[in-house]
Amino acid sequence: MARNRGQTKKTPHLDMNPMVDMAFLLVTFFLLATTFKLPEQAKIELPYSFSEVDIPETNLLTITVDRDGLIYLSLSNHESRGPWFNRMASLYNLEISSAEEESFIQLPGFGMPLEELKPYLLLERPEQLMQVRAGIPADTANNELADWLVTARSVQPGLRFAIKADQLTPYRHLDRVIKTMTANRILRFNLVTEKRREDEGI
Amino acid sequence: MKEFDQFEEFSNPIREGRKQRKTSRQNVFTDMNAMVDLAFLLLTFFMLTTTMTKPNVIELVMPVPEDHERPEDVQAVRESRALTIIPFPDDELYIFRGLAVETVQRISYQPDEFRAELRDFISSTEEPMVIIKPHPESNYRNLVDIIDEMNISGVKRYAIDDLRAGDKAILAEAGIELLGLKDEVDE
Repeated sequence: MARNRGQTKKTPHLDMNPMVDMAFLLVTFFLLATTFKLPEQAKIELPYSFSEVDIPETNLLTITVDRDGLIYLSLSNHESRGPWFNRMASLYNLEISSAEEESFIQLPGFGMPLEELKPYLLLERPEQLMQVRAGIPADTANNELADWLVTARSVQPGLRFAIKADQLTPYRHLDRVIKTMTANRILRFNLVTEKRREDEGI
Repeated sequence: MKEFDQFEEFSNPIREGRKQRKTSRQNVFTDMNAMVDLAFLLLTFFMLTTTMTKPNVIELVMPVPEDHERPEDVQAVRESRALTIIPFPDDELYIFRGLAVETVQRISYQPDEFRAELRDFISSTEEPMVIIKPHPESNYRNLVDIIDEMNISGVKRYAIDDLRAGDKAILAEAGIELLGLKDEVDE
């Protein structure tokens, strides 16, 4: 190969095959290991814990509470999103088109009052990301969150709930969410955290 | 390439005649530099974007909320068995046992202090019960830290509850500034 007798002028060739094999093997590995993060509605910095329980991937309704106390929802099961939205709409006497339903199913998560959700669904994706964040109302006067939770549980049997909040979210915002849940007999839920390594203190 | 040629010769001994022509042929090398560049570029990209750590969860079971129509369901905790933990804003932490004002103390989240206090409480109490009553302005990280500590220390019974008038009175009596809690009307 590199030793070509007689032809001294020839440039030596390096056998790159093993290296290329290796590189592509690693590319394939990382390609498969990567779960692409969908653009999140809220920037959340999770708190740390030593818990060993992994986050469930299916049948999970994530309630995100950001630093300003705005509430967002996201349901893991695509097939349940349609019936969920339909039931919620009929509860609020809202007419929804099939285009709106399709758009809702594609939505990774949402965080706005139901009234604002309808026009939002017909926007293009870049426009959706530009929208001002409103959060799902969860006040005692207008608690849409409670209805979302109850309807989600009725369309998706075995649904689990997870609260995902920022490290610095004041407790009073979480209190509203937890009160809403317990009032609807959702007593068992998960708090999403990042795994803490052993060498870090509490 | 050389190995490949040898293999071909070995497997086709009949084609011995072609050998002569073959030596004159130059071995073809593909320039793989571009491919390697691309492969490593992709490799770097995926290595940097991949987050290996998957989030995990703390499982929490809340007590049934108080029902005013069925007061017999309300679980009373004997004060002698209760430890109240109150996370305050700015990462402050107050604890007291039962309803005793003299046991109110400020501790830090450091494991050597907090965990030791918790262990002391568990070992000295029969059926220990910890009640976490976060200040409305305390942050979520404080709550998660405390719950995590419960799991580490093996406290089986703990609950999250509201900071009530009684607790505020105890804190006030111990000379702790309530930071905006005083004026609130408790239901």
